[in-house]
Amino acid sequence: MNLVSVAAKNVGRNKGRSVMTVLGAAIAIVLFVLLQTVLSAWNVGVEAAAKDRIGTRHKISFILPLPKRYADDIRAVPGVKTATWANWFGGKDPKNPNSFFATMAVDSKTFFDVYDEMKLAPEVKEKWLEDRKGAIVGDVLAKQLAVKVGDRITLSGTIFPGDWQFNVVGIYEATRKSVDRSQFIFHWDYLNESIPEKQRDTIGWVIARIDDPGKGADISATVDRMFDERDIQTATMSEKAMNLSFMAMLSAILKALNIVSVVILFIMTLILGNTIAMGVRERTNEYGVLRAIGFQPKHIVVFILAEAATVGLFSGLVGLALAYPIVELGMGRFLEENMGGFFPYFRIDKSTMAAAVGLGLGLSLAAALIPAYRASKLSVTDALRRIA
Amino acid sequence: MIPIKYNLRNLAVRKTTTIAAGMGLGLVVFVLASVLMLSEGIQRTLGRSADPDVAIVLRKGADAELSSGIADSQVGMILANPGVAKDTDGQPIATGEMVIVLLLDKIGTEGVSNVQVRGVPDNVMKLRKDIRIIDGRAARPGTDEVIVGKAIRGRFKGLDLNQSFELRKNRPVTVVGIFEDKGSSFESEVWGDVKTLASSFGREGLVTSVRVRLESPAKFDGFKTAVEGNPQLEAQVMRETDYYEKQSEGTSIFITAMGSVIAVFFAFGAIIGAMITMHASVAHRQREIATLRALGFPRSSILFSFLLESVVLSVAGGLIGVIGALAMRFVKFSTMNFASWSEITFSFEPTPVIMAFSLGIAVVMGLVGGLYPAVRAARMNLVQAIRGG
Repeated sequence: MNLVSVAAKNVGRNKGRSVMTVLGAAIAIVLFVLLQTVLSAWNVGVEAAAKDRIGTRHKISFILPLPKRYADDIRAVPGVKTATWANWFGGKDPKNPNSFFATMAVDSKTFFDVYDEMKLAPEVKEKWLEDRKGAIVGDVLAKQLAVKVGDRITLSGTIFPGDWQFNVVGIYEATRKSVDRSQFIFHWDYLNESIPEKQRDTIGWVIARIDDPGKGADISATVDRMFDERDIQTATMSEKAMNLSFMAMLSAILKALNIVSVVILFIMTLILGNTIAMGVRERTNEYGVLRAIGFQPKHIVVFILAEAATVGLFSGLVGLALAYPIVELGMGRFLEENMGGFFPYFRIDKSTMAAAVGLGLGLSLAAALIPAYRASKLSVTDALRRIA
Repeated sequence: MIPIKYNLRNLAVRKTTTIAAGMGLGLVVFVLASVLMLSEGIQRTLGRSADPDVAIVLRKGADAELSSGIADSQVGMILANPGVAKDTDGQPIATGEMVIVLLLDKIGTEGVSNVQVRGVPDNVMKLRKDIRIIDGRAARPGTDEVIVGKAIRGRFKGLDLNQSFELRKNRPVTVVGIFEDKGSSFESEVWGDVKTLASSFGREGLVTSVRVRLESPAKFDGFKTAVEGNPQLEAQVMRETDYYEKQSEGTSIFITAMGSVIAVFFAFGAIIGAMITMHASVAHRQREIATLRALGFPRSSILFSFLLESVVLSVAGGLIGVIGALAMRFVKFSTMNFASWSEITFSFEPTPVIMAFSLGIAVVMGLVGGLYPAVRAARMNLVQAIRGG
């Protein structure tokens, strides 16, 4: 039996307190994991952005449209493989007007070529192309709207007024975790033919696939230069930059969540430090005895740190064990199914898991440093005289 | 009864643990109070934009100004309805406004963000009586001059006095004044001439909303029925108070929900922290407790005394938390409002209810955390305790 394992056994001396400490710190770990998961879920769009896609939008405002011919102009730019466009439709389920999901009118012939992480069987695509009012939905949205292939559905338009009828002809399959599984996609032609003439032949944005991801910046610059002298200027950037600029709008919330994460870790350190300090104070006498029979101050330090490490490790593991089912079985599934537009993928990252256990261990050790140092500096006589 | 001095002294003797446990509780109260203050701030900032006398007319089906559109020719038809207040010249006190969001570079971060730009006609000050120019001067009607709300002044490139930004290529507008409006969400907007904006964006002949001052709030129902009953208009009418409440709903619910989840977990952690402290405190004082019992103090007074000690600890922590939260008043929180997709600057707004509630939660945490140790103290076996400890 070495010193470390004896120290680890010390954890069991005051079982009630150790259990409470581990529980308290574990709760902090659970919250830490939850917050980090929220943050990484939001970041998934940035991290999983396709490197070979660039997006073009109106330079001044995202609510202003581009002329439809811009899409053809972009297709002609050297280095661009293919391009597609879409309009934000802003449709709502009349039965449930508060639920949010993406509704887009797209260029049906090219949309799934550009977004190849959304898979559609060839025969379904063929059927869709033939059905003017046909719509393709994500599996999560289909469940939410309670529709299946072959059903008819009416959405009310917030931007384009009126009731709009669609036939659900297919469900796309998401082959990457970052894909929002609650999108509603239909033919841009259907929209264009149904709106007043003045508004026709405009598109919301263009997404292009390029040959060489390394040339993204050059091609983007070429596109913007091409439209610079026209009536409407554009801003073109990589998909990643586009997603990042969206995240910037939420930067205050992200910052707040990060601050709260740090505060949690601080509280955890307080709980752990408190317990360790108590344990050390109670056992000062024993440290005196150990010193008297020949143990060095460094042994006392190892003694205290090893005990702290044990508690910290347990806290991290218990916290993770609690957080895992909460996220994977409860919250994650709920958020993915009900708020898929915001959280297409809500799962614990491996790096978050590692951080949780690592921080439990590390902060516990940090909290133990001062008590350990003090205990090692005590003279033997003082330690023996001390009462808890 | 055991004098409270006994408990206070005990807390003072075990300084480190008292401070650690108190700080844990304080942080919980701080986070809880801050979140509630922010949620309150969101509701109030948008609520202050609303005037109970003013009705907003949007296109039917539009859920916000941004998605709405009303033809100029229809504005006259809307204003011809009964209930509309008139000024001394007999003109209706009403505005046809155009709202656009512009992507501007956010200073201090690398990103861009949406800023709400509102085109207003020259009689807007008759409708919005509280707008005051605090720096520079008012914009001249029909020009390329704009005024900027004080909450976003200097937060975006081009949005400060005498600076300019482009509405489209070669169409710069100049900031000539900074305005305030009793802390409403208008302070996060840029205001320019409605005609200038419409022509820059190619939206001539169109406004996004019509705001109408009514002769009195009681005239609302009549006005609403008249406008919504006109099949030529296809418009919907809301009280501004209702409209802005709806605008703040999403963001405020989001912040409250997220904050509450965080606060609940925090509270568990802090309760356990208080429990550990009180538990140790009881364990160390076995002999003292036994002595108190031997002196004739009943079990109930021991229980009460330890509960009191825990509550004193939590109130002290809670007070620190509340005071810290009050300091958050000076922090501005600027984020995207989900309803308008644009940046609005909110502040943390304290109310007595929030402060009392947060402190109340601290007391509850103290009671819950102190209960088990206090019960243990009260049920202690006298003989054993006096021998051991």
